[in-house]
Amino acid sequence: MLMGGLERATSGRVTSLGHDLSDMSEDALARFRRNHMGIVFQSFHLIPTMTALENVATPLELAGHRDAFARARDELARVGLKDRADHYPSQLSGGEQQRVALARAVAPKPDILLADEPTGNLDSTTGAQIIELLFDLRAAHGATLVLVTHDQAVANRCDRVLRLRDGRLDTARGAAA
Amino acid sequence: MASRIARRELRGGLRGFAVFLACLALGVAAIAGIGSVRAAIEAGLTREGSALLGGDAEIELTYRFATPEERAWMDSRADAVSEIADFRSMAAFDGARTLTQIKAVDDAYPLKGAVELDPPMPLDEALRGSDRPGAVMDPLLIDRMGLSIGDSFTLGRQEFRLAAALTREPDNATGGFGLGPRTILHRDALSGSGLLEPGTLYSTHYRLSLPPGTDLDALEAEAREELAGSGLRWRDARNGAPNVAQFVERLSGFLILVGLSGLAVGGVGVSAAVRAYLAGKTGTIATLRTLGATNATIFLAYGLQIAALSALGIVIGLVLGSGVPLLLAPVLAAALPVPAVFSLYPAPLFEAALYGALTAALFTLWPLARTETIRAATLFRDALSSAPTWPRARYVLATAGLLAALIASAAVFSGSVRLTLWTAGGIIAALMVLALAGLAVRALARRGHRAARARPATRWALAAIGGPRSEALPVVLSIGLGLSVLAAVGQIDGNLRGAISRDLPQQAPSYFFVDIQKDQMPGFRDRVENDPAVSRVQSAPMLRGVITEINGRPASDVAGDHWVVRGDRGITYAGAQPEGTHVTEGEWWPDDYSGPPLVSFADEEAEEMGLKLGDTITLNILGRDVTATIASFREVDFSTAGMGFVLTMDPASIAAAPHGFIATVYAEPEAEAAILRDLADAFPNITAIRVRDAIDRVAEMLDGIAAATSWGAAVTLLTGFLVLIGAAAAGSPARAHEAAVLKTLGATRASILRSFLLRAGLLGLAAGTVALGAGIAGGWAISHFLFETRFSVIWPSGLAIVAGGVAATLVASAGFAARSLAVRPARVLRARE
Repeated sequence: MLMGGLERATSGRVTSLGHDLSDMSEDALARFRRNHMGIVFQSFHLIPTMTALENVATPLELAGHRDAFARARDELARVGLKDRADHYPSQLSGGEQQRVALARAVAPKPDILLADEPTGNLDSTTGAQIIELLFDLRAAHGATLVLVTHDQAVANRCDRVLRLRDGRLDTARGAAA
Repeated sequence: MASRIARRELRGGLRGFAVFLACLALGVAAIAGIGSVRAAIEAGLTREGSALLGGDAEIELTYRFATPEERAWMDSRADAVSEIADFRSMAAFDGARTLTQIKAVDDAYPLKGAVELDPPMPLDEALRGSDRPGAVMDPLLIDRMGLSIGDSFTLGRQEFRLAAALTREPDNATGGFGLGPRTILHRDALSGSGLLEPGTLYSTHYRLSLPPGTDLDALEAEAREELAGSGLRWRDARNGAPNVAQFVERLSGFLILVGLSGLAVGGVGVSAAVRAYLAGKTGTIATLRTLGATNATIFLAYGLQIAALSALGIVIGLVLGSGVPLLLAPVLAAALPVPAVFSLYPAPLFEAALYGALTAALFTLWPLARTETIRAATLFRDALSSAPTWPRARYVLATAGLLAALIASAAVFSGSVRLTLWTAGGIIAALMVLALAGLAVRALARRGHRAARARPATRWALAAIGGPRSEALPVVLSIGLGLSVLAAVGQIDGNLRGAISRDLPQQAPSYFFVDIQKDQMPGFRDRVENDPAVSRVQSAPMLRGVITEINGRPASDVAGDHWVVRGDRGITYAGAQPEGTHVTEGEWWPDDYSGPPLVSFADEEAEEMGLKLGDTITLNILGRDVTATIASFREVDFSTAGMGFVLTMDPASIAAAPHGFIATVYAEPEAEAAILRDLADAFPNITAIRVRDAIDRVAEMLDGIAAATSWGAAVTLLTGFLVLIGAAAAGSPARAHEAAVLKTLGATRASILRSFLLRAGLLGLAAGTVALGAGIAGGWAISHFLFETRFSVIWPSGLAIVAGGVAATLVASAGFAARSLAVRPARVLRARE
């Protein structure tokens, strides 16, 4: 949340991709996310009044891409939802909603892909599929994936692991990717 | 058990019920307020009945004074009798002539109440004069004529001295809708004026001061028997100002029906609030089910909570509706042209409470019925996303029963089943049209947002209107009805005023001249017919009479309260069929007809009264009964303000009776003043009524009615606005989530705010446009079918309605939109994790 500028630090400074987020205005933070971050949440957070295609196209529109909808359609095809493009979130299963959220996060080709417990609301089979997809997309787009998880097996697939316990950094493993 | 659950649930407080309470309280308050003011006026009219009437009872005669026998009867029954002659005349001063309504009084006037003059002095002193008689005038007339106290003016051939301004006339409510401001003079001063010549149109009023304890019913019956054939009209203190009382009753009845439309809009808000409340209680209800609560227990538990809240809303409404008129009593009493006694009246409060209770029950039954669909399994699965189901048959039947009870109550209280059914039908139809329009707006937005792909803020707004959880339906429903009523009032008022002020003068005559004596007719015609500025002159002999019987039965038994039998009517006669007269049924009598009396009747009015050829009409003319047979029906167009007589008789029947002539003159506006001056100089007894002045008075009255209706509609709109605020508040968490997600994706606050405001503005635009369409349709229907006038869209009023719709939605949503934007994304998103 702090790294994405969604939350402000109560003390200290937060620097992300060389940008000091501490003194940025709300709109500057929004622009920073638009240009550099793709975020996936545990509860998907799709906009319920928009179709899957429109949800994916929105960050591309904000970034000023004239071909936002064509690219959004490609991203949806990549996550296997080509035929569900015109469905509203309420018409999709949890796994499908999370795949739309993944497509939306990677569509603008962000520098950092931030995934906050992306499988927390899914059954284990669907969760495993989503994790596969997440790592595939990261590889395809070449973004840095920052993954927050309680699942040790998922953590083990990461290049570097930072463990937080009671709000404090407990242990670290591996080197920066 | 249910009541215990209800009590425990209500301990949580009234949070989330502000809109529920406000909607119900406002609707009930409006109806209770209108009813309380009506009751206050009715009480005032009853208390002041004898003062307004000018006596305990009144006998009115048309066209004549009482005979010595009639007067003797009155003197024998009353402690005191006052004789008044009432007629119109022209007051002349400094070369100008102005229409005035003369009240020629005797020494006994006023029997009740007191005349107040400025400078203060007794009336008899003001009317007494040494060299010339005195008179007092309405300050408006003094101002209009440019007179000063002590100046001389003439009426007919008599010169009068203006002694004082008439600041209070105790019996003026009985004057009704007069065209000229009042002048009071002593009747002895009329002897040399030439004003009350045979054939002059006047009425006499005999006010009786009766011994205490007189049985008014018995005395009225005795008067009708003893003075049979006199053509008298009876009034007494129990209803001293019947026209005012009837007007107040009709207008307030109509306004209460407008208030009911406000309650219907409030019902939409009440229903939404209950739905939102029960949606929040889904978990509790599911838990209760797992603990063994039956459908009936759950329905009753939540029904009791809603009933308790409804009772609170109704009580707040009653306190407001009865308290505000009481608080404003001094202001209202000063503003009202009639007496009013402000107090706590139970009847209107009961009426308002009944409407409130029935409306609350009607609009909360279906949401309550949905508690049956909440299963215990909801605790484990999100069952709320399931599609709404149609309630069970018993709830549908109960809803129909409640609706029928509401309409029946309104019909009973308003006293007009027809008006109530039309209003109820109108409200139900309007709600259905608005609901369809809301769905259409949603469908249009769904199509439109694909076209707006290059403009994200616009696309988000259209997506929100067209997508799931769209606010299109509640917004269009909540403000649409109030705006529709206002739009219809604007269109009807504008068209009617246009017809009266713009179209009518083009086809109406410039002047009506009345009280022209037969020997004055050649001189009169000579002046106007030789004037090149005069395009048309019409004249006819005129008498006045009252239809007392139809086919030997009392006229009111046959024709009810039809306007033709309500007062005295103008009657003319003609030998040959007049040029332009179109007989629709029967035949005109021969030129030289001299048999039993025949009459030709206006066809439209005859049909309304249920008359047919061969029926007999008994007319009392100058105290003499004339029974005539209907020989023909003919077309009479009253809409042009030209000359039109309901009754035309054969000459042999009535030409011998003393009578005058009436004439209409159609002249260029610039020639009007000269015609009036020449005719008034030559024939001082003639009274001229300027049609434009009469039109202005009618327009003024319509202004008042339109203003009262607009205030009623404003209450509906205010209720709709509250519903809108409720909807905006309910949608606030969803908007906060949307704003947080959009911020996460990189949207700036300005673009999100633009999208939110655009969404509200577009919905307001849609609601305003639909309301304008409904208003135009309603306005056209009423103008075309009821008033039979030409209809054209009044665009300024229409555009104001659309702008009002946009403003209302923008104002209602702006605060919530700003609040949604102020919250940090992490807080909103985490709350949903």
